[in-house]
This record gives sequence, structure tokens and C-alpha cells, in this order.
Amino acid sequence: MAQAIPVVTRADPTATRSALTEGYVSQPMIMAHGSWNWLQAIGTLDLEGLTLRRGELNTGGYGEGYVDRRHPHSYVHQAMLGAAKNVGGFSTSAFVGRGFAPFGSDDPMVRPFEKFPVNHHLSQILERVVAIAAVRRGPWIGELATFNGDEPLGPGSWPRFSRFGDSWSARLTVLPMDGLELSGSVASVKSPEVASGHGLDQQKSSVVARFNRQTSDTWRYAFAEWAHTNESNRGVRANSLSSLLGEAGLCRSGMIGALRLERSDRGEEDQLQDPFRTPRPSSDLSSLGVSRWTILSATLSAPVARAGFVTGRPFVEVERLAVAPGNPPGVFNANVRYGADRMWMLSAGVRLHVGGSMNDRMGRYGVAVPASGMANMTGLANNSGMSDMAMDHASTSDRCSL
Amino acid sequence: MQLVTQYCRVTRTLLSLITLATVAACGGADAPTATDTGTVSANCPGINLAPRPAQLTLSQQTPLALKVLGNGCDTARYQAEIAVRGTIAYTSTWAGAYRQPNVPGNKVNVWDVSGNTPVLLDSVIVAGAITTGDVEVSDDGQLLVVATEYYTGSIAVYSLADPRHPRLISRYSSDQTAPGVHTAKLGRVNGKLYAFLSVDPTGDSNPARLVIVDLSIPESPVPVFTKITGTPYVHDTYQRDGLLFVALWNAGVDIWDIGGGVTGASPDHPVVLGNVKTLNGAAHNIWWYHDAGGSKRFAFVGEEEPGTVPSSSRGDIHVIDVSDLSAPKEVAFYSVPGAGTHNFSVDEVNGVLYAAYYNAGIRALDIRGDLGTCPRSQQDFNAAANLYRCDLRLMGRELATGLTDVNKPVYVWGVKYLNGSLYASDMMNGIWKLGVAK
Repeated sequence: MAQAIPVVTRADPTATRSALTEGYVSQPMIMAHGSWNWLQAIGTLDLEGLTLRRGELNTGGYGEGYVDRRHPHSYVHQAMLGAAKNVGGFSTSAFVGRGFAPFGSDDPMVRPFEKFPVNHHLSQILERVVAIAAVRRGPWIGELATFNGDEPLGPGSWPRFSRFGDSWSARLTVLPMDGLELSGSVASVKSPEVASGHGLDQQKSSVVARFNRQTSDTWRYAFAEWAHTNESNRGVRANSLSSLLGEAGLCRSGMIGALRLERSDRGEEDQLQDPFRTPRPSSDLSSLGVSRWTILSATLSAPVARAGFVTGRPFVEVERLAVAPGNPPGVFNANVRYGADRMWMLSAGVRLHVGGSMNDRMGRYGVAVPASGMANMTGLANNSGMSDMAMDHASTSDRCSL
Repeated sequence: MQLVTQYCRVTRTLLSLITLATVAACGGADAPTATDTGTVSANCPGINLAPRPAQLTLSQQTPLALKVLGNGCDTARYQAEIAVRGTIAYTSTWAGAYRQPNVPGNKVNVWDVSGNTPVLLDSVIVAGAITTGDVEVSDDGQLLVVATEYYTGSIAVYSLADPRHPRLISRYSSDQTAPGVHTAKLGRVNGKLYAFLSVDPTGDSNPARLVIVDLSIPESPVPVFTKITGTPYVHDTYQRDGLLFVALWNAGVDIWDIGGGVTGASPDHPVVLGNVKTLNGAAHNIWWYHDAGGSKRFAFVGEEEPGTVPSSSRGDIHVIDVSDLSAPKEVAFYSVPGAGTHNFSVDEVNGVLYAAYYNAGIRALDIRGDLGTCPRSQQDFNAAANLYRCDLRLMGRELATGLTDVNKPVYVWGVKYLNGSLYASDMMNGIWKLGVAK
């Protein structure tokens, strides 16, 4: 499967204190699944390093040296190898490679909005060298992982393999009814922002509720998450960042509409000549304060159009953003940075796909992938490969696929 | 060619062996340790540490008053470091976040501090700088050197032929100063003026480093030495008597010989004499103290833990005993609850250390006498390090606080003591002049 999203975004105002309109090819990716006997593989090549070097306008967003622009992800977004097996009434799986640690929620790329939420770095831990063990029995799924704490320094950067094992995460998921999943997770991430170590460590927690139900031509989706990250130095807390986010989506007659409401904290960092960049690493471990973002997003997608083997779903998306000093406010001043404390983002684009839609539960592997139906709730339904590892709401129809 | 290569290898090996032997002789396990009465280690005649100072009995009363005399404001930018010479003060500026739209911390203010209230005389704009985090005047008063951060790191060298109106004479930057020069300290070694640049790390392939620049021809700065160092930062240095103290964050403090006569080293071929890992790491800045009696036993190290500008800070002052340069050790500390220290200035004649304490203003400490010897009741035991340290607060050495009574929040970056007055650069409020009265 391949995907690309040509998109035009207008951010008004943004970090230049003026409106900017830019166009990109966002989220260009190639995904592949494979299985051979008991061995399973997942690969995602993310080509944003070629198309989004300057970052994508995403007011409020931050991470990996970018601010108010979304950073390009690593070329090797996922490269996981694993196996699943029934053991004594338990379904188990083990995966290793570069990918997502079991923490928080799915990658925003597989959710209904093109723009990332501010809480991306509070709610996901990704692109790490990770080893994950998962066990599933009845409606319960447990995952435990260890990985390297350092986050990528750029699309082509390699993880510090020497740091593998310095961080860990665990997630417990329950599937109480068809389409509904509840999960809680915790993580300890060592020095994510100073690759050589000795930066602030993160203690993270997350609670997620997700509902996803579909028929042949309808789809209902609801999602809520709370995420919290404490940053500390040798056990003494330095910063505390929280996020509360809810999403809802509906598909009728091939049209998809979705709403998102988010309130997230952002740690403020030194700025550079380019107002969309921050130093990596920063020159010390101090903070410039916290900003608090409240964002209402709405998106509407037209039915899928097909041209040969390419499908396209045009969409428009609008964000209304409000920012205020957080706790502590530090020296953050929205009017100095943006010239306003209320902003808009407007986007229009088309989700292009070849070979299917982007419907993986990106962020879960093996038996930790809850299937949409009840068939898999008793464990690993079969060992026939990846069929039950991925296809979520699109497995029966493309009409409501993103 | 092969012969030449072999010759170079042999030469290098011999030089390394000689250096190792010399360092080992300067306080290694077999070397005579300087005693309380002996002033010079027989094997290290180049460095005279003088007698151990006597233990003092101090009253618990506060014997100093830091009275605010005046404030010079600059509300367009956040202030950073301060340098003072004669009646002129220079403050640099910081813009981790802009204080006003599109106004970076690229300005150095020039203040007339002859009166009680500093008066802004002039300023210079350092092109391309986001932050001018450090500013220093050379010992002869001829040069002003400003460090710049992000991007590209550099030093800007100004002539102080007219100290009220600095004139740019050179700008030095290279791939070794990227992405930013965090501090630039000046020091003279065997008659030559050098700048010691602490350079920020960036990415994975550019770790923090120390760059030494020859400023003997200030119009043409020449880099003479670069070393990748710091875990993960190198934030500051202190040069005196040919020794360079280097603050290496979690790697503690290095002492380098760069021309002190200990090992025959020079600024372009420094030799590391010793290292001490201060408790908690985050070693940020240093002052090697030469007291009025000539003793050079103690150095002060500032610890900079994470804080939030302008409301919180954390980090102690650590006292290290450098009697054995090859094995300095931490012997005392000073802590302010709810605040952390930043840069120092020392009145060595009267034995008073002034420390910028960010949100807690300024602290003045009595540093006369032996700081490493105190009764058990004045000690703190750190179990993790299995280390007893004297607590300067329990020893009654806190003399005064400053800028705690100005009825507005302060965030003090740097202080400078000169001729009975104390000058402070306050990120939020500009420059303060305080009178020091007993």
C-alpha cells in the first residue's frame, strides 16, 4: 500500500506573526505486511524527509527541533519482525525492530485528521528500536516493551543502539464490547531529547477509550485520551505536561466527517532565527514555560474517487486554535510570538492511495491489535499471517476508508 | 614517508609518556601531598597553593547589607551577562523567547554606572545573534568580547579604545563554533590573550566542545585548540595562573594545565591534570579563589539544574578543594531552597563570594578561612556518594541577600563586584547597582 496527501494549508497567523499559505506532499508512505510461516513483518517507509524538510504548517505542534510545524518522520517509520503463538490458552506475540512502543494511542496518521494534534509527543512513543512482548486472553491484552529513549534527530538518523533497553513501557487493554477498547499505559523514557543521554527523563501515563464500528457503508468512530508527561532530572520533577483530547467521526454514503477537540500543554523552548525551529539539543535543561493549546478541528471528506489503481479522497479541514499561558507560564507570550492568541488553520487536499487504504492500527503489533469484530476477542483467531493484525474499519468496504 | 610516519609515532609516544609521568608526579598516588604548612608540592613548583587557610569562628549575624542604589531598565529585551570596568558596565541580552516582536537578544547595552542609577549610554547590535549570552572585558580594558548563540555561534571582538562606545574590530566563527558559543571567557597565558569558548552541542554528530582562540592580534582571532568535551554540555570556564577550570556538566569539573608550569602544557596543547564530579552534576560555572592570604585551595562550582524562566531555578554552590590538582574533591556546599545559582563574582580582598541566584536575587557568602573543615553539626552526609560536606549555611557564612526586597520578580543572571559596589544583570529588569555596606 502506498499513500500520499497533496495538501495546501493556510495558517493565520503563525510563528511569523503573519499568515502563511504553503503546499506539500504530506505523509508519503509505503507500507508492506508479510508473513512466512510463523514469522510476521511490518514495514513502513515514510518519505516525509524528501517532501517535508521544512516541516508542515501545524500551529501548536512541536517536537524533534520543530515548532508550529510538524517535523518529518523517519524514513524507517516501522520495520518490525515478530511471531505469534498460542501458549497454554494465551495468545502471545513478540516483535522486535524499529517502531512504536506500546504506549498511548495510535499514530495520528491513521486517524481522521490530516493535521497532527499538539499532543503527539505526549501520546505516542515512536521510531524506537523496540522489543515488545504481548499476551492476550479473552478481552484482555497486556504489552511490555523496552526500547531506546532517544527520539530521532532527523528523517535519516539512526537510533542509538547503545541506548537500547534504557527505557520501557507497558500497556493494558480491555475490549469490553464489540468495537470498544479501553487502555491504560505507562512509560519511562530516558533522555529523549538529548541523544547522548543526560537530558530530562520522562515519566508518561495515558488512558485511552476508542470506539470503532462499521457496516458495509457506514462508520462510527469515537476516541478520547488523557495523556500526561512529567519531565525530571535525577528524579526531581522539572516540567509537567498534560493533554485531553476527543475525536468523533461518522461516515455516510462515502462522506466522512470528523470533529476533534484538544487541550494540550506544550513546553516552550529556545527559538532560533527560523521561528519554526528549536535547538536540538537545547543549550541546557531549563524551560521557558508552558503554553496551553485549545483546538477545535473539523474535517469533511468527499467519497472516494478512483482512477485506475489510484483512489483519492478529497478533504477540507479547519482548525480554530486558542493559546494561553500554561503552568508555569514562563516567558511565553502569544501576542509576541504570533501577534494574536487565536488562530486559524485551513487545509484542503486529497488522500491518494494505491493498493488499499491507510487503516492499520499503527502503534500495535501481533496479538495487541484488537480486531473490529468479536472474532478475535478470544485471542489470536488464526495464524494465517497479518490479516487480523491490521485491517480495521476498512476490511469490509472502501467506501468509508480514510 | 613510512620512516617519517614511524618517527612521528615514536615521538608522540615519547611525548605521551613524558606527559603522563609529569602529571603523575604532580599529585599522583606517589606524590607528596601539599600539607597545611607546606605550600608547594615539591614535584609541582609551578603552582603554589599557599598554606591551608585557618578555620574561622563566625557569628551567626548577617554582617553585610546589599542596598539597592539604582536600576537601569531595558524592557525591550531580557538581560543576560554583565561585565564592568571602571564606571562603565556592559550587559548582553537573551532571547530564548522574544520579549518584543522580532527583537532578538542581539544587543549589548553600555551603561554609565558612575552614579547610583545606571544610565544607558550606547549599545551595539551583534548581527545575526539570537542571544548574546556572555560578555567580558579583557584584563587590560582594551577589548570587549561577546559570545553569540544560534546560528552560527561566534565571538564578536570590540575595541574599547572609547569604552563608552565599543567598536567592532573582528568576528570569529567557524564550523567549530556552531551552533552557538554559550560563553567566552578571556584569560592571559604567558602574556598572550586567549578566549575560551564553550560551544553548544547540536545533533548527534556535533557534541559540545571547547575552543581556545588566540586574541593576541584581536583583528585576526586564531583558533589554537579544540576538544570535544562535556556530558552533554560544556558551559563555562575559568582561567587563572595558567590553569583552566572547565565545567563539564555531568562530567564535573576538569582542571587543565594550559601554561601554568605544571606539565609544560600550553593553550594549544593543554594537559588534563584532574577532575572532580561534583554532587548532582550539572556543573555550570567556576571561580578559583585566591584569598587575601594567598591561599588557592578552594574553587566554587555552580550547579544549574532545570528551572523555568523567570519563576524557578535550582542548583547549589559546590566548594571543591584543589590542594591536589590531580584529585580535587568536594568539601562543602551552599543551598538555597527554591532557587538555584548562576554566575559568581568574588571580592577576594574581603573574602566574599557574590552569587547570582536567579529568582532568589543575590547571595553573599563569607568564604574566608578553611571551608572544608567544620564540626559534624555543620556537615551534611550524602549517602549515595558516601561524602561528608560542610554546609556553608550551617557554618554561618551567609552574609546577605540582595534584590529580594524590590517588590517585583527578579531573575538574576550575573553579578560583578567592583570597588565596593555590586552590579547585577537581571533578566527581567535590566541592570541593578547595589551598595555593599558592613
